[in-house]
Amino acid sequence: MIKLTIDGKTVHANPGDHVLDVALENGIDIPHLCHHKDLFPSGSCRMCLVQVEGAPRPQTSCGMTVQDGMVIDTKTGAIEAMRRDIVDLFVSDHPLNCVICDKNGSCDLQDNAYRYNIQETSFDFELSRPKYYDDNPFYVRDYQYCIMCGKCVRVCDEIVGANAIDFSGRGFTSIISTPFEVPLAESDCVFCGNCVQICPTAALLPRSKIGKGREWEMERRQTICGYCGVGCTVEYALKDGKIIYAQGTPDGAVNGEFLCVKGRFGWDFNSSPDRLTEPLIRKDLAYELGLTDEPWEMPKTSALKGKPKLGNFIPVSWEQAIDITATKLAGIVQKHGPDAVVGLTSARCTNEENYLFQKFMRAGVGTNNVDHCARL
Amino acid sequence: MTNSEQEVRDADCILITGSNTGESHPVLSYEVIRAVKKGASLVVIDPRAISMTRHATLHLRPKPGHDMHIFMAMAHVIIREGWADMDFIEARTEEFETFKQSVMETTPEVAALATGVPADKIEEAARLYALGQRQSGKSIYAEGNGTAEPRGHSTILYAMGITQRSNGTDLVHMLANLSMMAGQIGKPSTGVNPLRGQSNVQGACDLGGLPNVLPGYQKVFDEAKRKAVAEKWGVADLPAKVGLTVVEMGHGMAEGHVRAMYVMGENPLMSDPNTNLVEQEFRLLDFMISQDIFLNETGQLAHVVLPAASSLEKDGTFTNTERRVQMLYPVVPPPGQAKADWEIVAAIAQKFDEKMGRAGHVKWNFASTAEIMAEVAAVTPIYGGISHQRLAGDGLQWPCPTPEHPGTQYLHAGKFSRGLGKFFPIKVTLPYEQPDEEYPLILTTGRVLYHYHTGTMTRRSEGLDWRVPRGYVEVNPVDAAAIDLLDGGTVKIISRRGEVRTQARIGERVPPGVVFLSFHWKEAPANILTQDEKLDPIAKIPEYKANAVRLENPKMKRTKKAKA
Repeated sequence: MIKLTIDGKTVHANPGDHVLDVALENGIDIPHLCHHKDLFPSGSCRMCLVQVEGAPRPQTSCGMTVQDGMVIDTKTGAIEAMRRDIVDLFVSDHPLNCVICDKNGSCDLQDNAYRYNIQETSFDFELSRPKYYDDNPFYVRDYQYCIMCGKCVRVCDEIVGANAIDFSGRGFTSIISTPFEVPLAESDCVFCGNCVQICPTAALLPRSKIGKGREWEMERRQTICGYCGVGCTVEYALKDGKIIYAQGTPDGAVNGEFLCVKGRFGWDFNSSPDRLTEPLIRKDLAYELGLTDEPWEMPKTSALKGKPKLGNFIPVSWEQAIDITATKLAGIVQKHGPDAVVGLTSARCTNEENYLFQKFMRAGVGTNNVDHCARL
Repeated sequence: MTNSEQEVRDADCILITGSNTGESHPVLSYEVIRAVKKGASLVVIDPRAISMTRHATLHLRPKPGHDMHIFMAMAHVIIREGWADMDFIEARTEEFETFKQSVMETTPEVAALATGVPADKIEEAARLYALGQRQSGKSIYAEGNGTAEPRGHSTILYAMGITQRSNGTDLVHMLANLSMMAGQIGKPSTGVNPLRGQSNVQGACDLGGLPNVLPGYQKVFDEAKRKAVAEKWGVADLPAKVGLTVVEMGHGMAEGHVRAMYVMGENPLMSDPNTNLVEQEFRLLDFMISQDIFLNETGQLAHVVLPAASSLEKDGTFTNTERRVQMLYPVVPPPGQAKADWEIVAAIAQKFDEKMGRAGHVKWNFASTAEIMAEVAAVTPIYGGISHQRLAGDGLQWPCPTPEHPGTQYLHAGKFSRGLGKFFPIKVTLPYEQPDEEYPLILTTGRVLYHYHTGTMTRRSEGLDWRVPRGYVEVNPVDAAAIDLLDGGTVKIISRRGEVRTQARIGERVPPGVVFLSFHWKEAPANILTQDEKLDPIAKIPEYKANAVRLENPKMKRTKKAKA
């Protein structure tokens, strides 16, 4: 255990820990823009400067390894002035049009401009990267808001391993880009959107969010992703009861803030017009039961061909559907025995549902003919 | 998984086999990438050049169905070079000698001849895995913090590439053998870790969604355990005969003794092997219920279709691949009259008991999923300490037998669940269907990143559908050239069961002699091609990873067959 002092407070750390992480964990706020706890430090934004006692000049704390007995001051007048200058420089080519910006309310640069009371830049304003790419249904890239912190490049390399983007060009005209600026679909991008998640500004935004409401109007609900078995926590932002976008949250038990393309962008099936909304009975059974006067026969064409044919069914009430189902099952059990019934429970239903389903098959119907697609 | 997902990031060596982790479990692949970026070594054993191979220290590329030789040769090398953890073997395991004899003849050279993988690569894989050797950086286990262990920690990740095989059970035994002989189990960042493909496939298995076990893997033929569950459910006894597995159910329909099927949240018409036969079987049923969020392909054959709420519309719990039970919370309301599956099942069960003239014997009317979980805990020892109340936050990992138990991060610490870890002697079995003159290629199936299972959800997602709107088969340029097939051209894939037509994607991702088709596409259903005759004898899993097929180019005027 290493002991050090930050802003007069004694804190403990493990060898190899970085000063910025230790400070944040101990509730000591050091401003930062390019830092993320799951990424290697890059020191590019310079906001996390601190003064170490005995050091000749301020140093960035994100990449500074803790040492026993260190005494650190995070908020000297000189350092705060430097930070203000840094933000001032950032906004010299970042339009402060927060009023119309979809990141308004969750923007790290805006927070820092507020913190240092910067209404507009004291330098000459010049847009360095007036580029806008809307080349895919998942997210848009609006380069005027990019502050070149490189978090997107690092997450793509260090977490996702896709290496789809990197710094390109020089000086003010440098941008984050795919090789030769090819559209994302032609690059190695896997559209996981983790870059969008950790982008501190509006440079990367989920397409589904644009123009759909302000951050503070949205309600947030967390649940577990319904796709693979990793079990990621996903947070949905809703407005007027509709999902606007999905993201990871730092407290996700297995995934932290990171998601894949299906978890982050693949939720819109849920509001598909194809969703089943009422119980249905196939027309031949409906005729047999006297629910319709028209005789009908199941077509021989494969169920795999063409669109799902709702026209083969007629809607019934829940009461009718349950009664017909129970009557039919009971009839078959009485005539052919319980083992004539088989049940497939589901790897996409909850534990409680699976439990109840197999309980029904075993203690209700009276058979062990219950399986699911674990093998498939 | 014996171990936990976030432990992977601290592993010194990761062995991935039979798992396209980057596409099928992307977020778990992030853990692998994090480990590799810190200097861990990554060994990938897979016929296809999957995305993880870009980060691999070693990629061993056996012919599909021949990897057993490689695992046996690795074991051979580990013994020969003295890399086995003899202390662990003596203290914690049994029957090592029998196993040892079974691999003595599989030298790396023998394996190289059988698989096409160079012997020196097999030796290197054995060394990296057994000793937990890194490429760079410091191990937190072998070098860190003054408690250094003699070797780094190695973990095995596998998925359906191992299990969807006619010798899948043997392969899993073999991976367990490797982990025990190298002492790479029962510690953090080690273990034998199956990656489960669906959000609650672990929970569905845990809670008795299998024909041979009651909740908590209590065997149906274990009288004492069965009677104990029966008593809690308020019945005299429960059926003791092992039921039918999914493929056997279909065969039962063909034979006429299965007359009704209740399907909840599945699309077996697309996911079961030999689709043409499955459809004929389903059409024989007197009565079929499909309870789902969409009218899927299976549902079109059903007599009753019941609208269900999706996982975004209900509460309850999922158990993930690391045995973590986590709470679901409703995000949006269900559409129309759709209801949560548990409400529908309960209503049917209640009415069924009424019709059978025995209403009130068994409890079906639960007020909430929390109340169901309370009953789960009472009959399922591994879930004994789990309640919704305790799950807020990070959830709990089973085994969690009591309300005070903190859950279990990794299994087999200090002692195996069965006492001593048992080595299984191994022999090589090749895939049931071998390529021949008529069907010279091996078809292997799986997922692509942008789609999920039979595509009912992902193909209705605008972005995912935009990215990969239709199916394709991966073909090696050598095999494409043989039938004048161009990239993007239409191709027929034909097996003994049937044929599908799809687009060709030509490239080196598959080796010569192998084609890959995912099973998301109803226009080109991969399972029309797969065989349902020879399943793994114990797990009854179909062999999706190796079926014999041939390709035909419909544009080619005269195919070889026509000439003959």
